[in-house]
Amino acid sequence: MLVLAPAVCILSGIALSEAFNVLTRSMKFQRPISDDTLPTAGDSTPGSSSTATITTSTKNANIKKEKMGTISKERSSKKSRKETELVGSSPVRPEKEEKLCVLPSEASAMGILFLIMLCGLYVIHCVWAAAEAYSAPSIVLTSRSHDGLHVYDDFRESYAWLRHNTEVDDKVASWWDYGYQTTAMANRTVIVDNNTWNNTHIATVGTAMSSPEKGAWEIFNSLDVKYVLVVFGGLIGYPSDDINKFLWMVRIGGGEFPHIKEQDYLRDGNYRVDAQGTPTMLNCLMYKLCYYRFAETDGKGFDRARRYEIGRKHFKLTHFEEVFTTQHWMVRIYKLKPQKNRVRGKLKLKLKSSSKTSLMRKGAGKKNPWQ
Amino acid sequence: MATPLRLAALLLVLVAAFASAARADLVVSRADRKVDLTSHIVRVLTSLKVENAGSEPVSKVLLAFPNIQAKNLAAIRAFGTEGKVKGLSSVLPIEVVEPSGVPPELTFFSASLHKPLQKGKILHLDVLTVFTHFLQPFPEEITQADSQLVVFQDSSHYLSPYPVKVQTLSIRLPGGRVESYTKYGNTKLVDSELKYGPYEDVPPFSYNPIIVHFENNNPFAVAKELIREIEISHWGNVQITEHYNIVHGGARLKGEFSRLDYQSRPYARGVSSFRHLIARLPARAHSIYYRDEIGNISTSHLWSDSKKTQLEIEPRFPLFGGWQTTFTIGYGLPLQDFVFSADGKRFLNITFGSPMEEILIEKLIVKVVLPEGSKDIDVSAPFPTNQWQEVKYSHLDIAGRPVLVLEKPDVIPEHNLHFQVYYKFNNISLLIEPMMLITGFFLLFVACIAYMHTDMSISKNSPSYLAKLQWDEVQATVQQIQGIFHQCLAVHDKLETSLHDLSRTGDAKSCKAARKAADAQFKELAKELKPLLLSVQSSPQSYQIWPKLDDLVAKERELQDKLMARHATVVDSVEKKQRGQDIENRISSQQQKIAALRQEVESLLEYLSEI
Repeated sequence: MLVLAPAVCILSGIALSEAFNVLTRSMKFQRPISDDTLPTAGDSTPGSSSTATITTSTKNANIKKEKMGTISKERSSKKSRKETELVGSSPVRPEKEEKLCVLPSEASAMGILFLIMLCGLYVIHCVWAAAEAYSAPSIVLTSRSHDGLHVYDDFRESYAWLRHNTEVDDKVASWWDYGYQTTAMANRTVIVDNNTWNNTHIATVGTAMSSPEKGAWEIFNSLDVKYVLVVFGGLIGYPSDDINKFLWMVRIGGGEFPHIKEQDYLRDGNYRVDAQGTPTMLNCLMYKLCYYRFAETDGKGFDRARRYEIGRKHFKLTHFEEVFTTQHWMVRIYKLKPQKNRVRGKLKLKLKSSSKTSLMRKGAGKKNPWQ
Repeated sequence: MATPLRLAALLLVLVAAFASAARADLVVSRADRKVDLTSHIVRVLTSLKVENAGSEPVSKVLLAFPNIQAKNLAAIRAFGTEGKVKGLSSVLPIEVVEPSGVPPELTFFSASLHKPLQKGKILHLDVLTVFTHFLQPFPEEITQADSQLVVFQDSSHYLSPYPVKVQTLSIRLPGGRVESYTKYGNTKLVDSELKYGPYEDVPPFSYNPIIVHFENNNPFAVAKELIREIEISHWGNVQITEHYNIVHGGARLKGEFSRLDYQSRPYARGVSSFRHLIARLPARAHSIYYRDEIGNISTSHLWSDSKKTQLEIEPRFPLFGGWQTTFTIGYGLPLQDFVFSADGKRFLNITFGSPMEEILIEKLIVKVVLPEGSKDIDVSAPFPTNQWQEVKYSHLDIAGRPVLVLEKPDVIPEHNLHFQVYYKFNNISLLIEPMMLITGFFLLFVACIAYMHTDMSISKNSPSYLAKLQWDEVQATVQQIQGIFHQCLAVHDKLETSLHDLSRTGDAKSCKAARKAADAQFKELAKELKPLLLSVQSSPQSYQIWPKLDDLVAKERELQDKLMARHATVVDSVEKKQRGQDIENRISSQQQKIAALRQEVESLLEYLSEI
């Protein structure tokens, strides 16, 4: 349909100019002239010597007047274009002279004013359409509510923070959708960006996002990543965030690394992050990074993008640390915690492991930690 | 910390070494010091009552500061009034002096009096000193939940080369917690104001270190570098562009930043961070923009009235300790408010520092871009700066615009005074740019005209060229033929009118006369037509239109004959006094043919005119 747009524009331009022609000519011919030859219908009786010129111009007007009777947007102007050519080539058209009609000058004045107003409204419409429909950058989101226009400039806020408050050599890991934006605006090295062809690369990042914290930390540490960036739309209801894209991370990761199985993340074939979510899903890095302390915002953890309460509400991060979250929680940036300096000696390790097992036994007696 | 120990050692050294070398002529009878610690820029106002206890008039008053303080001294101003009554004070010029016999740990400034202070007279001297980077955040790294504590070190005794009779010190704290302060006897902390003193009869160069550790959560906005570009355009605009690199100069944030805590309890979490920066722009500032490298920043508010324009901006994220951000602010000002002319020179009178409130600028670079063709550039600034000149190439520049660059470290809001740049500019030079554009376009159009009129054909004998020439000739001749035919048609019309007259008046004689005249005219026109027709026929390009021409000529002749015939019959019938109806019947068939022929002739003429 969009292919017809230029054709329609040209034809409507022609129609508009023909309409203006007709209306202005009818006004011009109806203004009082010095010699009293009014071009009335079918009159070819000669008058003074100047009628020769008037008759030739009358003939021109006549042709256009007979077209004016049938003006509808495209087809008639097409026809009229063809007719002007025919008329130009063949000199015989005596019968057409009979049919002309001149519009009364008030009607043509009204017509001209109406067309001008129409063109003005068209300009206003075009400006509005360009501003509203064609100028929506997907990096700045806006929404209208009863108290005005809300601007969500979270993406640029996070990129500006990364640009100014991290070291130049720090690497940022995120899903590949944000690679170019991070490179351009935050000026930091990313692991995968929009043009990565190496599927294993992407699968590595996907696996890291789908693994539990420790496994993810190991992967990111081996890639020398310092910051992890996730996009979260649960607070404001932004639908294209990383939780909705998460299944793709699982699939791509699982395609390369067999220990990631998609079925582990689905409950009865459904993808859920609420109380029905699988333990693997509720324990993976993406879930934790997105929903870290999210339940404390409203007490219940209602995710506005998914429209249900999340499954695991209160948990702590052991290997990552939150360094920045934007104003509407759309972008959350975490830092990899460095490894502990001291690795305890063997004796202490034994004691520690024994104490750990006792803790684990204690932990097993507690309630289900996912609720 | 090592510094209080060092200062204590200094005190001892000074008291020992200079008990004898004290200046004996001036005596400070009263010294009141007010220290303002509410913002991160420390302001100290010292009110001295100096009495000349010696015998000679004294024209300089010495002010001493330890080097540690003098390093951070950003501004020092002195105001003096003579006499007992505190009247109008005048600003005294201050300069750095190095009196002989002083240790290198002290820096001396001397205030020169307008009139030497006579023996026994009293001078009221107010000294305002401003220190930057003087409040040390302690601890240097805090978490989001902590509030910011800073340390202030000074002396409770006023350090002076003169003996001080009575002195007090009052420190105003910003409110909030006071962690600790040095207590000496009658030290009182009342309502966030710490009072030391009064101390009496303190010998010169006495120094009694105090340390105050208190909470200061006011915004510590420090601009690491500010580049302020002022561009003058004599067409009516002064455009100012400011590039900021702002960092939070307080205690650094360690650990995590939780947006939840910051949003839900901002007064408990992240209390030392700041979000807003307020800039006071001059009145009638227009076209204000606020953007950074990524794009436009939309979080800003503008209020303007007739006296000033207030711009409140929010960086993209709140600034916590150690965080930094960069942005650019630009605005335009009307030329007549800032550029004036005096003695044949023009001068720019504009503020030196940044319009932002309470901001400390570690390195300020002011670039004044003067229009092209400015000469004899001269600067007068109220404080010393580094100056040099550069050249900037902008639109429609030939030699470039001269740029005067002023650089100053450690600029505080007290430095926001006016400075002047003098230059000479010829009024005619204003027209250089429009004349350049006009001449450029003019030459372009002249070149186009010349190109259209020159004959660039390579060979004059090429067949297409010849054909074109012939066709032009043919067209010209055809035009002439057309003219003749129009004249013929005019004659036809005359005949018709004569017929009408006849039907009206019945005058056959004049009708006949008209017919004769028409006849003669026809013959004349035919004669004119002949050579033209011949020329058209001979031209090889006329093959298209020759048949039409031929046709036209034949029809025209036929029409002529028919018209003449009709005319004759009508006249005869009128003479024979026949009825109108009979006349009509006789000529009706002729009338139709005449009408048809006329149509054809006219259409052929139309066709000819269109080729």
